[in-house]
Amino acid sequence: MTKGHDRSCRELVEQLSRFIDGDLSAADRRAVARHLRHCPCCDDFVESLRRTVALCHEAGQTSLPPAVRARARARIRTLLGQVQTAGTAPHGTARTRH
Amino acid sequence: MNPSSRHTGAAGRDRDYPDLVRAVRTGDRQAMERLLMRAQEAAWRFSLMVCGGASDAEDAMQDALLKTYRYATRIREPEAFKTWLYRTVRNACLVRRRRRVDEPAHLLSLDELMPSPDDGTRVPEPADKGRAPDEHVANARLRRRIRAALAKLPRQHRVVVFLREIEGLSTREVARVVGISEANVKTRLHRARLFLRRELEGL
Repeated sequence: MTKGHDRSCRELVEQLSRFIDGDLSAADRRAVARHLRHCPCCDDFVESLRRTVALCHEAGQTSLPPAVRARARARIRTLLGQVQTAGTAPHGTARTRH
Repeated sequence: MNPSSRHTGAAGRDRDYPDLVRAVRTGDRQAMERLLMRAQEAAWRFSLMVCGGASDAEDAMQDALLKTYRYATRIREPEAFKTWLYRTVRNACLVRRRRRVDEPAHLLSLDELMPSPDDGTRVPEPADKGRAPDEHVANARLRRRIRAALAKLPRQHRVVVFLREIEGLSTREVARVVGISEANVKTRLHRARLFLRRELEGL
């Protein structure tokens, strides 16, 4: 990243998500790659953005807590049980509050 | 391959939605149970990560359960189920959230998010699959920090990050769920990534 963000660095920052998502035209992609080869700061910036994306993905990989999962299962059992008994679709009667 | 779509997202760990919906239509009870669980999981994650708390999560899960049951048995295009589900979950969560006033309302300006020349931002590496036990603690801390950073995003950006980065929806699917253009999805996602990068600095 050059001092004061010269035009090419600023333009590059605006394109970085599309660059890492593989969403640029071949010509634009080559131009960004060429810039990165000569601008170590922008190159570092791209890498930090990639890590940010990976971390966000990782942070979202959570399972339901056991108690929440148990209540979710109970709701499903109640709902499908009502359907089986009544032979009709439920109309908001499956509320199982815990 | 689109590098950003290399992961299938939290929603893609199990059988794909269209397959599940098709199985439901044949009367497969196990498929129905799995679909209903996944709908509730999506509602829980959305409540937690977009609406900012678990207080409404159980109500959101209940809504998702009932609406999914009613919809899945009569849907004509199984491929449309995923965007329907996330649109339904989003609408239900946001209607509840509108009653509150603690949302950051500002927009993200690119100028604010440009790195300084001596930025020195260091974003940590994602976790290694074979990490040692004590690293789990560090990773739990890291996860909390990332969620705190997500919570600081304006909601219109947070929804896009959630759907795209965490749930693994395509740009087109996110646009359909949120009701904006694909270009707008890309712009919001980019601003949000720059913001999060800065927030995760020095972890």
